[in-house]
Amino acid sequence: MAAAIMAYPDLRHPFEKKSINRNSSASVLYAGKVFALTRTLTDNGLWVTPEDLTVINGFELKPEGACFESLCIPIKHDSGLLKQEDGQQWFNLTSFAELLEQPCVADIEHKVWSFGEVPAKRQGMISDAMAPDFELVDRQGQVIRMSDYKGKKALIITWSSW
Amino acid sequence: MPVWQRIYEDLQAELGDSNFVIISAAQDTGGEAVVGPIFDAANTTYIQIIDVDHTISTVFNFLNVPSAAWVDESGKIVRIDEGTYAKIHPFGGNDVYAPALIDWVRNGENSEYVQSAATVTKNIRVLSTDELKAEAAFRLGNFFRSQGYAEKAEAYWEQARTLNPDSVNYIRQNLTLSEEGSAGEAFRGLMTSYVEGGKHYYRPLDLTEK
Repeated sequence: MAAAIMAYPDLRHPFEKKSINRNSSASVLYAGKVFALTRTLTDNGLWVTPEDLTVINGFELKPEGACFESLCIPIKHDSGLLKQEDGQQWFNLTSFAELLEQPCVADIEHKVWSFGEVPAKRQGMISDAMAPDFELVDRQGQVIRMSDYKGKKALIITWSSW
Repeated sequence: MPVWQRIYEDLQAELGDSNFVIISAAQDTGGEAVVGPIFDAANTTYIQIIDVDHTISTVFNFLNVPSAAWVDESGKIVRIDEGTYAKIHPFGGNDVYAPALIDWVRNGENSEYVQSAATVTKNIRVLSTDELKAEAAFRLGNFFRSQGYAEKAEAYWEQARTLNPDSVNYIRQNLTLSEEGSAGEAFRGLMTSYVEGGKHYYRPLDLTEK
C-alpha cells in the first residue's frame, strides 16, 4: 500500500477537453448523476420544466405542492418557485434547494449546477443512528444500496490511494 | 486491504456467507485506473466501489480515510467514524479495532463493542452549512475534471477545501494534483497543524464507550 501514496503525474488530468452543454442549455449534477437539460431558464437561479424536476429528483408538482412519495411541500403562489413564460410552466430548482436547505454550487459561465445532499434525508442518522441510504455502482456494475443489506451485518469502509 | 480480505474470508468460513458483508468504497478521483489494481492485488471478494465523488464520506459525515460504520441487521449504526486500520500504522492504526469488529460479527448485539444509539449519534460529526456545501463544490470540480477543464476542476476542489477545511479527504485528494503529491511537504505541514491545533487526525478510538 505504501507505494500507492504518491502523485500520479500522468493521471492528473487524463481527460480530453469536451464542449459542455453543446446540445443542452444547462447541466445539473444531482445524487451522483449528470442531467443535460435542453429546456431551462437561467435568470435568477435555474428554472426547469415540471417534467425535468421529476426526472432530476423525483418531486412531482401537484395541487398540494411539490410531492415526493408521501411528502408534499406546499408551494405558495408568491413563493417565487413557479412561473409561467412562453406558454410553459417553470419551477425554480435553486430556490427549491434553498427551501430544503440543500447545498448548491453553480458555475454560471458553463451553466452547470451541482446540488448536495438534502439534509432531511439524513435526519434518521443524525437523530436515531439509522444508516443513511445511498446508491452507488460497484466494480462489477451492480447497483449497491445500503437498504439492500437489511438482515445482514455490514462494515462500510472507506479508503484511498492517496 | 489484504488484512480485511483475510478477516472477511475467515468470518465467511466460520459463520457462513450470508451473515456479514463488507462494502469497501475507494474515495478516489483517480478512479479504476488508480484504485482498481489495489483492489485486484488484494484478491478482494467483498463489495468494491470506486467512489470518485466521495459519496460514502458525504452520507456518513466522514472527513478522513480509512473510516467506517458498523451497521447491524436492522439498519442501525452501532459504531462510527474511527480510524479503521487492521494493524498498527503511523497515522493512527492499532491492532485492537479489527478484533473488536470480529467480536461484533460473531456476537452481534451481545458484543461489548456495540454502542448505543445515543453514543453513535454523539460520535457522528456535525457539519455546518458551509461544510455541507463543500461536497457540491467538490462534485462540480470532479465534473469539470471529467470534461477536461483542469483549471475549473482545481478551483472548485479548492473551494471545497476552503468550505470544509477539516476534511482531510478534500485536502489530500487535492494534493494528488500537485507535483509533490498527497504525502509530501504540504501533507506533513497539515499533520503538524492538526497536532498543534489540538485536533485529531482521527477521532480517538475508545473501545470502552458503550
